[in-house]
Amino acid sequence: MQQEVVLAMLAKEPSHGYELRARLGRALGPVAEGISEGQMYVTLTRLEKGGFVARCDAPAERSDRKVYCLTPTGQERVTEWMSDVTWPRPDLAEFHMKLIAAAQSALADPISIIDAQRRDLLRRLREVGRAVMEEQKDSDAALLLEGVVLRLQADLRWLQACESVWTKRRTRK
Amino acid sequence: MGKLLLVWRLVVKDVRRYTAEALLLVIAIAAAAATLSLGLSLYGATNDPYAQTRAATNGPDVVATVFPPGPDNNAPANPTELKPLEHASGVIASSGSFPVTWATLRANGTTAAAEVEGRDTARSFVDQPKVTEGSWVRSGGVVVERGFATGLGVRVGDRITLAGHAFEVVGIAVTAAFPNYTRLCYIGCDEPNVSGDPGLVWLTEADEHRVSQWASEPVAYFLNLKLKDPATAEVFANARDNGSATAPRLFSWQGIRTADSRIVANAQIVLLTGSWLLGLLAIGSVAVLVGGRMAEQSRRVGLLKAVGGTPSFVATVLLAENLLLALCAAAIGLLVGWLAAPLIDGPGAGLLGAANVTTITATTVGIVVAVAVAVALLSTLVPAIRAARTSTVRFLDDAARTPRRRAWMIASSRHLPIPMLIGARLAARRPRRLLLNIFSIAITASGIVAVLVVHAAASNSQQGFFAPGNPINARLNQVTTVLSVMLVLLASVNAVFIAWATVLDARHASAVTRALGATRRQAIMGLAVVQMLPAFVGAILGIPGGIAIYAGAKSGGGTSVPPVLWLVAVVLGTVLVVGALTTVPAQIGARRSIAEILRSEAA
Amino acid sequence: MNGSPTVLVHARGLRKEYGSGEGLVRALDGVDLDVSRGEAVAVMGPSGCGKSTLLHLIGGLDRPDAGELTVAGQRVDEFSERALACLRRDEIGFVFQAFHLMDELTAQENVELPALLAGCSPGEARSRATVLLEEVDLADRARHLPSMLSGGQRQRVAIARALANDPEIVLADEPTGNLDSAAAFDVLRLLEGLHAKGLTLVIVTHDERIATTADRLISMRDGAFVDETQLTGGSRGQLGTFADWERLTLDRRRPS
Repeated sequence: MQQEVVLAMLAKEPSHGYELRARLGRALGPVAEGISEGQMYVTLTRLEKGGFVARCDAPAERSDRKVYCLTPTGQERVTEWMSDVTWPRPDLAEFHMKLIAAAQSALADPISIIDAQRRDLLRRLREVGRAVMEEQKDSDAALLLEGVVLRLQADLRWLQACESVWTKRRTRK
Repeated sequence: MGKLLLVWRLVVKDVRRYTAEALLLVIAIAAAAATLSLGLSLYGATNDPYAQTRAATNGPDVVATVFPPGPDNNAPANPTELKPLEHASGVIASSGSFPVTWATLRANGTTAAAEVEGRDTARSFVDQPKVTEGSWVRSGGVVVERGFATGLGVRVGDRITLAGHAFEVVGIAVTAAFPNYTRLCYIGCDEPNVSGDPGLVWLTEADEHRVSQWASEPVAYFLNLKLKDPATAEVFANARDNGSATAPRLFSWQGIRTADSRIVANAQIVLLTGSWLLGLLAIGSVAVLVGGRMAEQSRRVGLLKAVGGTPSFVATVLLAENLLLALCAAAIGLLVGWLAAPLIDGPGAGLLGAANVTTITATTVGIVVAVAVAVALLSTLVPAIRAARTSTVRFLDDAARTPRRRAWMIASSRHLPIPMLIGARLAARRPRRLLLNIFSIAITASGIVAVLVVHAAASNSQQGFFAPGNPINARLNQVTTVLSVMLVLLASVNAVFIAWATVLDARHASAVTRALGATRRQAIMGLAVVQMLPAFVGAILGIPGGIAIYAGAKSGGGTSVPPVLWLVAVVLGTVLVVGALTTVPAQIGARRSIAEILRSEAA
Repeated sequence: MNGSPTVLVHARGLRKEYGSGEGLVRALDGVDLDVSRGEAVAVMGPSGCGKSTLLHLIGGLDRPDAGELTVAGQRVDEFSERALACLRRDEIGFVFQAFHLMDELTAQENVELPALLAGCSPGEARSRATVLLEEVDLADRARHLPSMLSGGQRQRVAIARALANDPEIVLADEPTGNLDSAAAFDVLRLLEGLHAKGLTLVIVTHDERIATTADRLISMRDGAFVDETQLTGGSRGQLGTFADWERLTLDRRRPS
């Protein structure tokens, strides 16, 4: 489970592992089935060790009911992550969670995130497209680059869909 | 039941949506129907008029005449010489003998010669002249033979004078016992005091005797015989006619008919030709209509299918709509034909001395309705079957075929100014429509040129149909004028219809050409050129065509060529009128924005 | 005209509506656009967003209901129909999604048609067509009818036709919409080539690949511009990073 996603979810409010898992399940649907509660706890423990989250409940509580909250370091990391346009491959779940977490925590505007990502991908598509032109037709390099182009196109279309849906959500409010 | 209702609703909606096109179709079919019905009735009235009259009047198989003997004609003829013939072998019935004399007739300021036959007021078995207007003879009343009346312009109720004494025209009738007006004397005339070709009138026997005294004319006697075997009439007549001046002269009905046909031949052929011209033009318009409607239907088929109709349902809707429109149009056309028929039939039949048959017969109605239904069927079935994709059908459907390519036309049109370039290329795309166009215009132009030739010949006495001053000329003019007007009207409707079909067909090509930089005016002029080219060719073809028609009608004798100026006027006029007619649908078509047309019509 | 303008297309407040009452559709709702000489602009958006309408207005195929539009230095929103026709003929080359070639003309006859309409002699028009067909690599198909050409070849003929009168601007409406990816690639190459030669292009497309060949990418929705991305400018050299990513074993970035 991508650690930044968990951090971003905590940005909304302190939660315990059970709740986080539930929220993940609602946001990801069937994609979340592969993620167990156990994995959630492992991630939380690592984050705690890294200093990004901390327990913020009474120590007397049972271990499975530990409530975690963001530390200032963790908050910083989340903000950084929000504006990072590094494109995660091939798993789209991370970007998807980024948008949801941003909306739920009011940390950033999901549509701006989408726009920024889109712009970035467009520029990359342009670069790769040019590169394809300069290669010999049907060469190895050209073939690989063609694959990159096609995936970028597919991702751009998904981003278009994201923007469409998130705009509708905004206008509904 | 619900399905029928649905079909009805769709039809109504479609007609309301495309009202202009439906109206145009109705007008076009009605025009063709009217023309066809007129052509048919004219043909019926003018085809073998003698036979019609003979049947209607129970005409005689042999006419026997006896004239006064002697050069001074003071002694009357002896009717008893005819008596033996009444009982000759082979004779089954007879009527007469009737007294015949001659007198000068004055009517409406015209003076003419009249041959007067005295008859019973009661009906005769053989040769009872058929009264087409008014009633039969009575004391003081005269019945005028139809051809003679048409020539004089005399009508029931008019007052005329015979040998200076007044009579009232009480009726107009036709007979098969005498040849038509101006050839009466074939069966014998004796009128030293009366000049000119006489026409036939009937009076009561008493009045007839008075007239012969007033006119100081001798009285001859005519007897009508009916044979057991009418075919032997000529043999019968020849056997008993020894050619002597005093003995009875006999004439067979075949002989009378021949004499008849010599006069009526010209008029008859003019009228028959007219009816053929009308019929051909009507068929030409039907072809135009079917082609144009089919082009439109393919759009509708596409729309209905897109809405979810099965092919058979689509065909039903289209057929219902087309039948509805076609039958309405056929009714309108028949009505117009019935109303217009007297304009031609009257004078026509009168010219031919024919009995007035009903102008619109059941046969005519049947043919016209059948043609209208055929138009509806053809224009529905072809696109409907095409929807099921049969290759045979592609041949019939103009619109489905990719436009033809004529490399030489495309290459040579590059040198032409833009409107002509556009027009020539568009015309070359649909060669069959081009031919149809030429055909339609050529027929019309031929008719007009033939009329012009008649006019030109009329002023030249050597070649006129009849002697100058003959009143029949005026009647012939009237008939030919009406025929010409009808030809022009139908040809105009055709031209508009073809223009509209062309505009529809060329919509995509016009839009692309305009998108590439042609102005709207160039595009419209191009469409006009598409029609003007065949109009020019058709008009040129009409010149020899019209002259040939006249020559054919004249059957021998010279033909005259109308003044070149008139011919040039006909050609120019045709081209200009057709061009003008085309610009109307072209302007309407050019109103849509190019973007809209290109969007809706994929290449 | 004072010299050749550097802004070839200048639009302010363009509006276009279709239908009326209940069925009123605002195809364009107040659009502003500037296109400089030599610039390639791509317009993307969902269907019905008005991008084709915008192109039709710039190309003089339709008139705006409101707003001002200057193309090649002339106020075309005030043009008569005749002047628009001249504009289409001399300044603008249009490439359509459906090609819109004349079915009964060969490739070279299609290409020479605009030149003939502009009044060139047949010989001139023919030689120009030959040159253009060579440029789009279809010299050997000059005498073929469109029905004998593939989709990609037809579009290339259409592009050659658009260039017949040496236009200032080429407008392309979904040029690869009806093409498979291989044919689309050929068209892409052509358009790139034209852009490299300095031609001004406005391309409406849903294909991101085509769109990213432009200098500027505009997104439209519901008749208005919603986004504009400048694609030229920015450094190259990010290619290495891509290659890293495409390694089959993927290392996810971890917070350090």
